[in-house]
Amino acid sequence: MTEEGEELSKNALKKKLKAEKAAAAKAEKEAKRAAEAANNPKAENEEEMDPSQFKANREAAVKALKENGEDPYPHKFHVDYRLPDYCEEFMSKTEDGEHLDTSVSIAGRIVSVRGQGKLYFYDIRGDGAKVQVMSGLQMYAEGEEAFHKIHHKLKRGDIIGVKGFPGKSKKGELSIFPTYIELLSPCLHMLPFAKGDSNLGGITNMETRYRQRYLDLIVNNDVRNTFIVRSQVINGIRKYLDDRHFIEVETPMMNMIPGGAVARPFVTYHNDLSMDLYLRIAPELYLKMLVIGGLDRVYELGRQFRNEGIDLTHNPEFTTLEFYMAYADYNDLMTMCEEMVSGMVKQITGSYKIKYVPKPGAKEIEIDFEPPFKRIPMMEGLEEAMKDKLPELDDPEVEEKLIAILAKHGVECTPPHTTARLLDALVGEFLESDIINPTFITEHPQIMSPLAKYHRTKKHLTERFELFVAGRELANAYTELNDPAVQYELFLEQAKASSAGDDEAMITDDGFVTALEHGLPPTGGFGLGVDRFTMFLTNKNNIKEVLLFPAMKPTDDQLDFLAKNKAKRAEDRS
Amino acid sequence: MRFIVALHMMTMWASVARTRAFLLARSTRGTLVTSRSMSNDIEEQIKIKGDQIRQLKSDGVDKETLEPYIAELLALKTQLPSDEAPAAVATATKTKKQSPPKQNQQRKNEPQPELSNSELRQIRLQKVQAMRDAGINPFEYTFDVSHTASRLTALYQDKLEPGEEDSSGVTIATAGRILTRRVFGKLAFFTIQDETGILQLQLDQNRLADNFQTLKDWTDGGDIIGVTGTMRRTDKGELTLWCNSWQMLTKALLPLPDKFHGLQDVTKRYRQRHVDLIVNSNVKDTFRKRAQISSQIRRFLDDRGFLEMDTPVLNSVPGGAEAKPFETYHNALDLELTMRIATELHLKRLIIGGFEKVYEMGRIFRNEGISTRHNPEFTSIELYQAYADYHDMMDLTEELVCELALKVCGSLTVPYGEHQISFERPWRRVTMHDIVKERMKFDFAELQEFDEASLAKARAAAAAAGVPDVASLPTVGQILNACFEELCEPECIQPTFVIDYPVEVSPLAKPHRTKAGLTERFELFAVGREHANSFSELTDPVDQRIRFEAQAAKKAAGDEEACDVDEDFLQALEQGMPPTGGLGIGIDRLVMLLTNSASIRDVIAFPLLKPE
Repeated sequence: MTEEGEELSKNALKKKLKAEKAAAAKAEKEAKRAAEAANNPKAENEEEMDPSQFKANREAAVKALKENGEDPYPHKFHVDYRLPDYCEEFMSKTEDGEHLDTSVSIAGRIVSVRGQGKLYFYDIRGDGAKVQVMSGLQMYAEGEEAFHKIHHKLKRGDIIGVKGFPGKSKKGELSIFPTYIELLSPCLHMLPFAKGDSNLGGITNMETRYRQRYLDLIVNNDVRNTFIVRSQVINGIRKYLDDRHFIEVETPMMNMIPGGAVARPFVTYHNDLSMDLYLRIAPELYLKMLVIGGLDRVYELGRQFRNEGIDLTHNPEFTTLEFYMAYADYNDLMTMCEEMVSGMVKQITGSYKIKYVPKPGAKEIEIDFEPPFKRIPMMEGLEEAMKDKLPELDDPEVEEKLIAILAKHGVECTPPHTTARLLDALVGEFLESDIINPTFITEHPQIMSPLAKYHRTKKHLTERFELFVAGRELANAYTELNDPAVQYELFLEQAKASSAGDDEAMITDDGFVTALEHGLPPTGGFGLGVDRFTMFLTNKNNIKEVLLFPAMKPTDDQLDFLAKNKAKRAEDRS
Repeated sequence: MRFIVALHMMTMWASVARTRAFLLARSTRGTLVTSRSMSNDIEEQIKIKGDQIRQLKSDGVDKETLEPYIAELLALKTQLPSDEAPAAVATATKTKKQSPPKQNQQRKNEPQPELSNSELRQIRLQKVQAMRDAGINPFEYTFDVSHTASRLTALYQDKLEPGEEDSSGVTIATAGRILTRRVFGKLAFFTIQDETGILQLQLDQNRLADNFQTLKDWTDGGDIIGVTGTMRRTDKGELTLWCNSWQMLTKALLPLPDKFHGLQDVTKRYRQRHVDLIVNSNVKDTFRKRAQISSQIRRFLDDRGFLEMDTPVLNSVPGGAEAKPFETYHNALDLELTMRIATELHLKRLIIGGFEKVYEMGRIFRNEGISTRHNPEFTSIELYQAYADYHDMMDLTEELVCELALKVCGSLTVPYGEHQISFERPWRRVTMHDIVKERMKFDFAELQEFDEASLAKARAAAAAAGVPDVASLPTVGQILNACFEELCEPECIQPTFVIDYPVEVSPLAKPHRTKAGLTERFELFAVGREHANSFSELTDPVDQRIRFEAQAAKKAAGDEEACDVDEDFLQALEQGMPPTGGLGIGIDRLVMLLTNSASIRDVIAFPLLKPE
């Protein structure tokens, strides 16, 4: 797996071919083993069984059930309590070694099996909670034959429904004492052991974890919590904005012109209209048009798409919040940003201070989100950090002078050497990397910020800020540029940069300039990276950990399948 | 209500041959209507008539044909309660008297028929320059608003006698876009519009001193200004902000469009949604309701323990529905991707992973033509609940939609076009067999044997009922489905659950627990359209493989909407998925239903349109 997403080199190709060969051989072996296993359904110890034999056995068993007229996949099982609710309800109402005499129904997945003969123990899990099932023959309502039949059927990994009496074991473990058990969905695969349920534990293979997230969720309990925190972040953002009378809107994800940010877009094709469409890289321009239309406070929480490589902080699709507020400026936004971000950190983690490991293998640091955040004006901050004077931005030789400064400090910048890119390289080196606690870098030059409004007093600068935490950009905001003439000029400059080879320069959008001519009120606009924020709150340094189904290079099987399909389609066409 | 009336005032303003003084007086009354009691009946008739006129205009009817309708509308308006009408007339005469021709500034600067937009733009650019020369920023940075228009209307609803000024010492700061501008020598009345409503401003030489002249010189309709002042009621009883100061916040370079033409051109409304929103307040209302609907759905589900999840838009294998996907390409990974046509298969993986109640409200993409019902990207919600079946999902759907109707529309009965739709529970639940039988007098349920004879009988019955292309349909189930879609679907006006679909058209639904050949599936219909789709989810991986293979065969035979065998998903199912109920609702269509919107483009802020 090439995490960086670069194109396959020759070596990699060779490696791949070799891997494919090995995989094919392996598949053949497995198929053979499975066939043998199917012929030999009697297994000695299932937990030590070969996985393909285990699967063959289970498939045979399920088939036998169906032939017997039993439904291994029933349509409905009524549940009185989710397992977390069951625990909450009965933990305090039951005594050790006793049970209540009102019957309830619960359901979950078996994660461990013990016992035999007249007494079986199962642990079942559901929605993050665990309950013990203590099934004794005496209590089972349908008699001895049914009792043995059901317990013979059940395997670790199966989903079962249980009807019985809430109580506790003698050791004080909350349990249910069943009068009835039903198989709801058999697990055909050998389930990896859950972390914490035994000494064996968890899935650690990253590939398996991301590709088969459901397995990851079944066996690694903490993974579930990550996504609960993610859900809390999204709810927290909505609540903060809804309370302040913002309305949530949805703007197009497919556009004829990709605008509102600088990034390489995905392109697709609309068959019926016979035209190319670009997946959005930011909703900014549309949201501003809505403010022009008189929706004074709008926001959109949604997916953005950038056709870029995959790494620890980048996924081709990611989630952002953007909000726009008429009559507000970047000072108001800094206050709101502090309120919203710190408020959520406090509410979700219980403290302003969080522990964070910024990179795999790095030392854990503490980040303090207590407001107010530090503010560093970009140009002054740079001069101070470099102990060097920057050229004036309208100096005709600004680029040469910046190149000299970069060379002096040993900072690299890939061409084209535009002022914006050169400054960006310096900021990355001297300002961003040293930041740990939340810090606003403010007042970026206009040339780096084509949609931000020129500063009310400082020439060539804008009323913009970016929030950095532990060296990473978390938010970006500005007083919105609402003078259509200036906006048009800046778009033209971007077009010039683009023709000079900066393929990340923004594309001119005449429709947007026309919209501005109808009058955009003074407006503050704010963007937040939801995935990155979730990474901080869950102490993850890889974006894949906070995405349920991160983008992955297809497996060889998938590639094979896709290639076949493509060939078939081409054949059909010809 | 205020929005609607204001709108009709504008319509009228535009349509009557610019007898400006009279109409200006009428148009400002929009701000006050909430505090007056107006006959609902006449108001309703006016609304209907207005809708009719707008419809005609959007159909491109010429002016002459329209005139009788407009006359009727005006006649209706004169029937408004008598305490209103004379006031308006009085205002009209008074205004006329008070405004010598010279002072009709707006008319002088904006003789709209004569000047093109680019000429108007030039004039306004000159004003921008004049302001800059005077050291004034025509594009201000910020403004602190103390009260919105609707807040003021509410606060002063029963306060202040005609002619009285608020003496409590409260200074109001507010901002908005200039809708109308009437200047009479040393006195001016403006109306401004903010997100919440419309407010009248009184501006005069006494209070503004030198700034009154700049106000006259620099402002135009469409500009965004900030003002401070105190509230008063005019002699005529209109709530007004009497301004102590004004400030240009944003100079608009283009005028507000002529309302008459603005309303006429439907695609222009969609192409320039920002202008549509400024001019048509009911549009703003639709999007506010849309936001409420999404927000209420989330609250409803969150309260029931559902968790919202984000699943990928970009997939290497499409699935979860029968539709043609958009294709794209990831450069760095050198990988072809498709955009999701449903969220189903990923959400089911999460149920397998042990989340018992999940949902995702998000964008779905289908590469199909555009129409009043279809936009290539649209919003759906899919939810999945472990240990539930399609009966539970029907109950949940009823509860959810009823709550939305009550919270967003304030009633369980809502108007849609010519219909009144009642969401009163329980809604009709009818099997596809029965509803087709009612219409066709032919019972598909009697075709117990799945053989050639049954197929022939089904074909004959469908053809006799006028269902097209039945000869090409290979199974009884597909013929039944075609009969339903052709004959029954358009007639399902009131909310109706149609249940128990043929297995051939339901590749992800569980077989019916008692009826062979059918699945436990329902779709919800209302106003002749599908609104929701739900099943007891298929959990048997062996059966799922058979269904996928049937799909793959269809695809191989040239059906571009069919899907392939999804091995990854099958592997996930083999891990064991609890019995699960799933439900999908089209949010755009639901918003159309609850906002009485005829086209999907009325509820999507920026619909995809053919390039100009």
